[in-house]
Amino acid sequence: MPPYQGGGEMISDVWTDHATWNELPWKFEAGTPHVAGAVGLGAAIDYLERLGMDAVSAHEREITIYAMERLAEIPRLHILGPGANERGGVVAFTVEGIHPHDIAQVLDTEGVCVRAGHHCTKPLHRRLGLGASARASFYVYTTRDEIDILTHALHKTRELFRVAG
Amino acid sequence: MSLDDLYRDVILEHYSHPRNKGVLEPADITSEGANPLCGDEIRISLCVGDGVVRDARFDGKGCSISQASASMMTERIKGRRVEEVGHLIAAVKAMMRGEPPGEGLGDLEALQGVRRFPVRVKCATLGWVTLEQALADLARR
Repeated sequence: MPPYQGGGEMISDVWTDHATWNELPWKFEAGTPHVAGAVGLGAAIDYLERLGMDAVSAHEREITIYAMERLAEIPRLHILGPGANERGGVVAFTVEGIHPHDIAQVLDTEGVCVRAGHHCTKPLHRRLGLGASARASFYVYTTRDEIDILTHALHKTRELFRVAG
Repeated sequence: MSLDDLYRDVILEHYSHPRNKGVLEPADITSEGANPLCGDEIRISLCVGDGVVRDARFDGKGCSISQASASMMTERIKGRRVEEVGHLIAAVKAMMRGEPPGEGLGDLEALQGVRRFPVRVKCATLGWVTLEQALADLARR
């Protein structure tokens, strides 16, 4: 198989009318390797190991449980999927009468970033009978205060769209 | 950028109380449009006689902007001559491209605010593009 792109390290020898290629994997890795990315990944792994993956997991679970409690307070909000102990640090939801893109738009102005759409799971949304959903995700730096901000912003969204109930 | 520019009262009002929602049966022409990435879907059905849009309905699902824009559109085109509707479509599209709104757009000027949210412009124009398609199909007959 010929190389799909030329550049440093993929070459072995060059003449004016032809060239030979380095052996695998270099043949397919033309140019400067993604050095900064590799160093960054190393730093990220060191960081997580310092925190301890048990602590990472425990924090994620705690925040997810708290988020699901707070979201459940919002009328006509439906959480998709199983309970907090059977999921990762993400919560997808819908709010009756408000399209997920409108939810995301209003939350954005409140400083809360959620994803809206199919989340690369169109067949699942079709099976659930949904056009789209909104999804909040949490990580090691997510705090309970931020969940409160999310909850408050969702109340504001319902007020803007004047959803009754 | 203020949310009030995007979600003007007239838009929220059409979203919660859409006009002419449904499908005309029989219709002289039906056209479907979608923004696959955001999942907005619109179906336009028209009854046209003697060059006049006698009746118009829209059906579909999607965000407030796409549905309100289509609702305002059906209200506006009923009873209008097809050429007039063509001019209106051009005027709305021009406004959404950033040109100053032409005269006679009325309530539709509320859609101007959407321009400040570029990803939502396609939501606002979906109904109009679908209507344009319907009229083009009709003209080819």
